[in-house]
Amino acid sequence: MTSIPLTSPQGAPSDTSSAADGRIGENALRPDGTLKVTGEFAYASDLWMDEMVWGTTVRSPHPHARIVSIDIGPALATPGVYAVLTAEDVPGANAVGLEHEDQPVLAETVVRYKGEPVAIVAADHPEIARQAAKKVVVEYDVLEAVTDARAALDPASVQLRPSGNVVRHLKVRKGEELPTAAVVVSLDFEVGMQDQAFLGPESGLAVPAEDGGVDLYVATQWLHVDQRQVCSALGLPPEKVRLSLSGVGGAFGGREDLSMHVHACLLAMHTNKPVKMVYNREESFYGHVHRHPATMSYEFGAEPDGMLVYGRAEILFDGGAYASSTGAVVGNGGTLGLGPYRFPNVHIDCYGVYTNNPPCGAMRGFGCVQAAFAHEALMDALAERVGVSPAAIRKLNGVREGDVNITGQVIDSAAPCEELVQILLDMPLPAERSGADLLSLPGGVANSTHGEGVVRGVGYALTYKNVGFSEGFDDYSTARVRLQVIGGEAVASVHTAAAEVGQGLITVEQQICRTELGVGRVVVHPKNTQVGSGGSTSASRQTYVTGGAVKAACEAVRARVLAAAAQVCGHTADDLALDGGKVVARSGEVVLDLAELLGDAELFADEGVEETVEWRHRPTEAVDPETGQGNAHVQYAFSAHRAVVDVDVDLGLVKVVALDTAQDVGKAINPDAVLGQIQGGSTQGMGLALMEEIVVKDGHIMNPSFTDYLIPTILDTPPMLIKILEYADPHAPYGVRGVGEPPTISSGPAVAAAIRQATGKALRRVPIRPEHITGT
Amino acid sequence: MIPSAFDYHAPTSLDEALTLLAQGGDDAKILAGGQSLIPVMRLRLAGPELLIDLGRIDGLRGIEDDGDAVRIGAMTPHHDIASSALLGEHAALLCAAARTVADPQVRHRGTFGGALVHADPAGDMPAPALVLGAEFVIAGAGGIRTVSATDFFEGLFTTAVGEDEILTHVRIPKHTGWGARYEKFTRVAQQWSIVAVAATVRAEGSAIAEARVGLTNMGSVPIRAESVEAALAGCALEEAAIARACASAAEGTDPPTDTNGDADYRRHLATVLATRAVLSAAGG
Repeated sequence: MTSIPLTSPQGAPSDTSSAADGRIGENALRPDGTLKVTGEFAYASDLWMDEMVWGTTVRSPHPHARIVSIDIGPALATPGVYAVLTAEDVPGANAVGLEHEDQPVLAETVVRYKGEPVAIVAADHPEIARQAAKKVVVEYDVLEAVTDARAALDPASVQLRPSGNVVRHLKVRKGEELPTAAVVVSLDFEVGMQDQAFLGPESGLAVPAEDGGVDLYVATQWLHVDQRQVCSALGLPPEKVRLSLSGVGGAFGGREDLSMHVHACLLAMHTNKPVKMVYNREESFYGHVHRHPATMSYEFGAEPDGMLVYGRAEILFDGGAYASSTGAVVGNGGTLGLGPYRFPNVHIDCYGVYTNNPPCGAMRGFGCVQAAFAHEALMDALAERVGVSPAAIRKLNGVREGDVNITGQVIDSAAPCEELVQILLDMPLPAERSGADLLSLPGGVANSTHGEGVVRGVGYALTYKNVGFSEGFDDYSTARVRLQVIGGEAVASVHTAAAEVGQGLITVEQQICRTELGVGRVVVHPKNTQVGSGGSTSASRQTYVTGGAVKAACEAVRARVLAAAAQVCGHTADDLALDGGKVVARSGEVVLDLAELLGDAELFADEGVEETVEWRHRPTEAVDPETGQGNAHVQYAFSAHRAVVDVDVDLGLVKVVALDTAQDVGKAINPDAVLGQIQGGSTQGMGLALMEEIVVKDGHIMNPSFTDYLIPTILDTPPMLIKILEYADPHAPYGVRGVGEPPTISSGPAVAAAIRQATGKALRRVPIRPEHITGT
Repeated sequence: MIPSAFDYHAPTSLDEALTLLAQGGDDAKILAGGQSLIPVMRLRLAGPELLIDLGRIDGLRGIEDDGDAVRIGAMTPHHDIASSALLGEHAALLCAAARTVADPQVRHRGTFGGALVHADPAGDMPAPALVLGAEFVIAGAGGIRTVSATDFFEGLFTTAVGEDEILTHVRIPKHTGWGARYEKFTRVAQQWSIVAVAATVRAEGSAIAEARVGLTNMGSVPIRAESVEAALAGCALEEAAIARACASAAEGTDPPTDTNGDADYRRHLATVLATRAVLSAAGG
């Protein structure tokens, strides 16, 4: 039995109980929705214990430097300061990381990016901690920084690691080595560094425990992978490092890596006091990984009618200073980088490299977002060359169920590319601009345009994304489901460690329990490491994988309950089901009251029926290192977008007038939540096309604030027509297909295409800045 | 972030405020709405030890007819300026610019005088005040003095208002019947101006009789595009002629290069926006 702290901090989540209706396929109200709107939702930054102290981080001002010395004396002498710790104070391995343990908890001899943590401070007030942090004297010997990914590939450049600068090079080879084609189109494309731009900064509270361990409350995406790294750094076994999810204010991949986790635990164990850490906005920009910037060179060959013959691509991702998930991003860029099209012949080289830029890792769309801008621009170029419409070229070449994709994997469930595009064609276009409503014009409320120089354009994009973890990763989730009587009522409770980051997993868990166990009230236990791993809340996988685990655990519970019912009532278990709090026969006859059955002391213990299930989707496999061939992915999710833009070509301003989409979701468990994911994802993709970029110059972030890092507001966001297809994937629970990422991939390329159509300019870089349009 | 600790006073008279300001010296700051100051304090870019809130002093808020001018109290919020019928008649440019300031919340809390003394190069009120020939009434220990618009804006976030002085009123000479337009360029809604052009025009028949054109964020202080104004005098009310006259809008300016746009792009914007602003102000 593991110990838990006697008192939880204020702001730590408690049970979520709901008796509302809502089985799978019905709209279920989110328990966090109202609280977030009214400002009552407790985020990780709201965690509080009266006796807590505050931690802060001393960060490197240089992108690359040798640490000559660190003097903590003046900081430690500051009244109110409890501890100042450096790499020397890390008791376990000073190396953490998602895929490679290559990142120190605190820098030892070298700093590899600006903002890298060098020391940590705990004090009785956040301001005292900050002031003391400024007194930590670090002497640096500045080294030459590698801040250009292309240069990093050059063996002659500074090598940042003993193994060189390449994190991963993935080759995909299929068909002929040097195919020829009647029509050849090619282009280079560049994608800037997007930020997840979550509103809730990195934050958490570490509480030292009497057993010599620590309890960490933190906003994260994957409790168990955090736990593994914290244990390793602290030199403690898992039973002494207990993590609980606290309120997450957005994630989008940026919370998959550690931020303040180990730092707060180190300070808590050193001071024997609870330690809270909350990053400020600027620090947050340095405190999490970003979307990889990419440079890409593409060439497609086709028959005269536009039928693709071959695809060649070189994709280069700048991974920044540490590996994070660069390897898997390269995996996606390589195996999915040509888009959802039929290619007989393929030649791809996809690289991820170390530089001294800010580390890059997971972000919604994960390697597919960058590639989609290139392959979709090239499909438009091909359509123009062969004289067909952008929609027609995609319908002609889109993959179909049963096709073998570029890594030799059979696509063995729905691949409705043609239908998705046709749906967009059939949707009504927005009305011509009337000119009356300034809000409808580029510049919106700022009134920069009254219609002068405004040109309309329409663009299409068709993309796909793998769902779940790929390339042989043991991807599973654990669910503990209990059915018991509480207050005379049969109540299901469900406990998983799968992180709710705002995507709506809690309702999905409740809906599955209601559907499988026929009860109304479902209690969702707080997410923590007291149950097995739920895997990461990423890769659009939780409804699939944790949903699958909850379903399986419910089935195991139900089997026991129905077996017991069969003993009592004379029906066979196969003839029985659970519905409406009753045991019912297939005939519809109500056989038993479920609460009464569960209350039968001879059949069940007081705590009812509990089952814990570890559930896996069907396995994937590593791809061949020389050819990239293999069954790399478990599922593909398809989406298409049509963007309509008005562009003021004199000012370079863009107003997205409509952003319509069609997406196959397999089965919409909570249709309202599906719409929310598609609206949000579409907007985030549009943001990358138009404005979202962390501008990095010589390793320094030039715009670490939400004043200068632009994000679309509601006033910049267009109406969206959304058509959801539900072609069940026979391999997935309920036929679900991941929802969260696909719209982020297809929306941006559609916006870019629409701007190209409106302006006639090539626009081979995103975000498309106004001066790219005006040419000034 | 939480600002560093500070004392707060809300005097009820101007004399009391001036006394507090004199006592506070370098460590004191005037709070005149706080829509710029408080964010700057939260970012720890400023850490005043004393805030003197002018919000409870009678007579600093309001818009009055003052003969050949309109007199605006320094503590008048942007919203009141944007919606003032009196200003709409006699200084429509101010209303147009005030309507583009940030969002409704900020327009109700932020003040005209606060924005002018803050003198943010990307702020929207300085350029209109400059081109309308505002007179700035400043109170200090030695009494009241008046500063002209051309002398008021001295540099980046710096005005003629001394550290021991308070701006109390601004007199805006009447431009009755002049058309006005404030063209503000931002990339997302409710942002600061990347570039903006303030234009007010008196038309006679089919020509422009007089025009005043000001530029926001094309340098460290608001700028009058004098060559444009000269070219517009007598200019026919037609697009091509106005565009020709506005072609020199960026002449002599030294706009910043930052992540929102480089200097060349800002010069381009100034030219396009000037043409649009003048056309619109002239009723085109």
